[in-house]
Amino acid sequence: MARPVFRKVRTEEDRRLVHLDLDRALVEAALRDPAAFDPLYRKYLAQVYSYAYYELGSHADAEDVAERTFLLALAALPRFSERARPADGEGASTFRVWLFQIARNVVANQRRTERRHLRAVIEAAALVADPLDLEADSSRHHEGQAAWAAVGRLPADRRRALVLRFVEEMSTAEIAGVLGRSEGAVRVLIHRGLRAVARDLGGRRW
Amino acid sequence: MTDRRPDEPEIEALQVDRYLESILVARDRGAAFGPYDPDLDPELRSVAERLSAELVRVHPSFRFEERLARRLADVAAAMRLPAAAGAATGAGTSPVPLNLLPDPAAASAAVRDEELTAGRSRPYLIGGALTSAAISLAGAAFVAWRLSRPVDPMTRAIRRAHHGVDARTGLA
Repeated sequence: MARPVFRKVRTEEDRRLVHLDLDRALVEAALRDPAAFDPLYRKYLAQVYSYAYYELGSHADAEDVAERTFLLALAALPRFSERARPADGEGASTFRVWLFQIARNVVANQRRTERRHLRAVIEAAALVADPLDLEADSSRHHEGQAAWAAVGRLPADRRRALVLRFVEEMSTAEIAGVLGRSEGAVRVLIHRGLRAVARDLGGRRW
Repeated sequence: MTDRRPDEPEIEALQVDRYLESILVARDRGAAFGPYDPDLDPELRSVAERLSAELVRVHPSFRFEERLARRLADVAAAMRLPAAAGAATGAGTSPVPLNLLPDPAAASAAVRDEELTAGRSRPYLIGGALTSAAISLAGAAFVAWRLSRPVDPMTRAIRRAHHGVDARTGLA
C-alpha cells in the first residue's frame, strides 16, 4: 500500500513538512524513458481496474476504463506534478491520487456517453473464492454478496468513499484528493456510509 | 431520551477515521484487526471490520493485463521516437483529451456533479482515437499535426467554398 512519508525540506519557499511520493523514483524513471512506465502500470492496474469495476459493475467496462486511464496517464505524465505541500490543500496529490483522478474522470465520461448505471456487483465474489473450499465458500459468498449489495445501494459519493477506503485502502487525505473534497467531508461520507450499511445489513439480519 | 451534542456526528466520524486507519496499519503489520477502541460504537466497529474483510479487490484477467502492457509499450516506443529525433514534445501537439486530466480547480467540481449531468451526451473525440483499435497512433498524430498546423489563406478559401461560405462576407 502506497503511503506518503514525510521529511523536512529546506527550500526558499518555505521550511515545512512535505509529502514525498513513494512513487517518485518510478515516475522520474518513466519521465526519462516512457518504456519505464511499466512498473507503475503493474503496480496500479488492479487498483484502477477494481475501482472501475465497483463503479460500473462490468468487467468489460472496467477493462475499458483501465485501458483509457493508463493510456492517458502515460501520455500526460509530463503534466503530472507532485503537489503535496500543505499550501496545496488537504487533498495533496501523489501519483496514485492523480491516477485515480484520471480514472474517476474516465468513469464519469463513460457514464455520460453510454448512460450506464451501477449494477449489482456480485460475480466478483466468485472470482476471489478458493475453489478448494466450496462449503465454507458458500456461506462466505452469500455474506459477501450482502455486504457488496449494501454498499452498492449507497448514494454514489458515499459508495465511492467506502470503496476507496476499504478496497483501495486509501487514507482520508488520498480519498479527499481523488474526490475533490475536504478531509472532513470525506470522514463524514464514510461515517454516514457505514451507518447506512449497518442499518441495511442489520435490517436484513446478517 | 438522551441529548446528543451537536458536534457528536463529527466526533464519531473522527473516531471511525482513527479506527479505520488502525485497521490499515494493523493489516500492514499482518494483524487481523486494529486495537480495540471502547469509545467507538460497536455497530460501526462491527460493520467496518466486516467491510474490511469482505470488500475485496477485483483483479483483471492476466490476458487483459498483458495485452494492455503490450499496448502501453507500443505507445511508449512511439513516444520515444519523436524525442530521439529531436522534435518538440510540448503539450500543444500532444493528443491528450484535456477534459479527462485532473484539474485542481475545475475537474473535481465538474465530476462531482456527474449525477446531475448523467444522461447528457458529450463528444469524446481524441480519447476515442487513442483507444480505438481502428485508428492507429500515426493517425492520431497526423490529426494533431493537422489541427496544430497554421492554415494558409488558399486552404481557408477552399474550405469556405466547400461549405458554401461567401469568401468576402463569411456568411453561408
